[in-house]
Amino acid sequence: VTRLCVCDLLVAQCDINCCCDPDCSADEFSLFTTCSVPIVTGDSRLCSQKAAVYSLDVEANPPEMIFKLIDQVNPSVFCIHATNYKQALSFISPEMPTSENFDRLLKQFGSAAFSAELDSWDMNTDAQNPPDANETYRYEYGVPIQTVDAFLRLPSPVLSSWCSDANPAGFLVNQVTKCTRSVSVENCGDIQALSMLFYINSSILAVSVNITVQSIAVQSPNGTRTLLNGDDVLRLPEIVEELCINIVLGVSYHITYTDAGEIIEAAAAFVLGVINKEALSIQQSFEISFAQANTELVPLSGNPGYVIGLPIRAGYRPQGYPFPVDRSSNKLSQLTLLQSTSSQECLAVQGARTPILFGYNMVSGCTLRITAAMKCKPLAQTLLDLLKGQSFPEYVASFGNSHAQDVLDWVPITHLYLSEQGIYNTFQSSCQIPVSLEIEVKWTKYGSLVNPQARIVNVTATITTTTLKQLPSGRERTIPVMSSVVFTDVSSPAVPGYKAWPTINLKLPFDFFFPFV
Amino acid sequence: NNSSQLSSLLLQMLFYVNGVYYIFYFLATLTMIVYKSQVFSYPDDFLAPDLLVLFIMAILEVPRLYLGSKGNLTEEEAPLGLSLVLTLGSVVLAVYFLVWQTYVLRADIILNALLLSTYGLESGLKVMAIAAFVS
Repeated sequence: VTRLCVCDLLVAQCDINCCCDPDCSADEFSLFTTCSVPIVTGDSRLCSQKAAVYSLDVEANPPEMIFKLIDQVNPSVFCIHATNYKQALSFISPEMPTSENFDRLLKQFGSAAFSAELDSWDMNTDAQNPPDANETYRYEYGVPIQTVDAFLRLPSPVLSSWCSDANPAGFLVNQVTKCTRSVSVENCGDIQALSMLFYINSSILAVSVNITVQSIAVQSPNGTRTLLNGDDVLRLPEIVEELCINIVLGVSYHITYTDAGEIIEAAAAFVLGVINKEALSIQQSFEISFAQANTELVPLSGNPGYVIGLPIRAGYRPQGYPFPVDRSSNKLSQLTLLQSTSSQECLAVQGARTPILFGYNMVSGCTLRITAAMKCKPLAQTLLDLLKGQSFPEYVASFGNSHAQDVLDWVPITHLYLSEQGIYNTFQSSCQIPVSLEIEVKWTKYGSLVNPQARIVNVTATITTTTLKQLPSGRERTIPVMSSVVFTDVSSPAVPGYKAWPTINLKLPFDFFFPFV
Repeated sequence: NNSSQLSSLLLQMLFYVNGVYYIFYFLATLTMIVYKSQVFSYPDDFLAPDLLVLFIMAILEVPRLYLGSKGNLTEEEAPLGLSLVLTLGSVVLAVYFLVWQTYVLRADIILNALLLSTYGLESGLKVMAIAAFVS
């Protein structure tokens, strides 16, 4: 207790008003006004314990620090006199792993993780859960997908960029990995991981689903890919004229599952390539994605709140239909922004647009060269199309998973038109061309304090126009055109919510007054 | 009158007091175990032995007091001797509650000290009564 000092924060320096600080000297004590920590005790529930009392004697000149070690007695009848349970009064340090207890600790605290020991997993699963053909095996999120021999492997880089084949794919975990593998033309047939067979020969457990070959694309040495149509013939690596063809450059698994968690289909799409004699290593890329059976693939941007980085879902309300149509899966009518390209000329870049991702403020722009020959109205229209895109949506989903049928879940986009020159110029009927589009998305945190969901409450698209003065013929002018999107958090502070009081619902039974009613 | 009656009045009174006090002791210890399990961290494998010992002690107490009282009143040594043996068992259990319990509170100390002193006094009186009956 004498060595404990909570206020001693600075090492080798005296803390102000900290009477227990051992770094303080007597003159420093004389500068203190009070003791911030007057008493240091152990657990106060013990019957008798030592306490270190620090106090300042202000009457002495100069003030000095008085330290007393006393026995503090707890007067309560229920004070702890003794315990036979070590962890009762203090935190015990956890066991340090040594070579003797490592296996026991691993069994106790380890879990299904990346492990190079595929054999041990095999033995475990066979002993505990013999694969039963009649029993359906349900997967949960993150559980490694079991195959007949071990796990569905998704090679990924570990520590360095070299591929390691022991990374199991987790259920419902969409992964994209890229890694390097060392190759050589001579033994390209021997390296297992370069052949298609390695990736499809095991069948996924859960009623033995075979991995079918969905498509094969062949990548030529200059990078172009052609899709081979027709057969699902297995193409194995072979050496042809000092080149090794049909080596696997990329695999993309698509797993279909039911809502009970069973895997019913698995397909793999391959990209095969060619290596020549000089190649020492190739880069392989792997991807796995999951889709639920019998559902439309509308990619959600969050469930329910928007997830930062996912595109904003937008749509428009067609004539005659009360519901907005969710067209965010169709790239043409997403909420998009002009994309800056290397050529900065606005009119040269037609159609290069980038989707607006939630939470990412973006700015883009281009420069517009105005010649005297350009007419005002067509130019204004072209610029408006450029800024807004081909089909600017009218509604934005307020939640990441809003259904198209819920009209109230969709926020209309408000349009504002500002003039750069200010209001006093609006009386002049001169040519106004839009030069900037600023989309402001106001979002708020919705739901519980520990798990707030992002919800869009307001989307405002502001178009700023400027006057186009007539140029003398032959002259040119360049004006910058800018578009931006800003996300503002307008959350109000959290308000505590309490459950409703239970109500007493007393009602007489229907036939209480039986003979009379 | 004293010469013809060998039963010890003091012992009988002590049995009665012991019975009443034991009921209070049992309820108090049980309540305190419940209190400890709420206020302190009391894992199940420490709670179970404590409760077990308490119930064993309660079960031992009934025949102990009955046999002792019967032996004293009928002036027979056998039940009194058996009661003495059971008292020894109860003493050990009381010492468990005094020293080897998971959490020993000050109230536990007071209760168990009183109980042990009662047992001690009883044992002494029982020995004297047995000596009186035998001779």
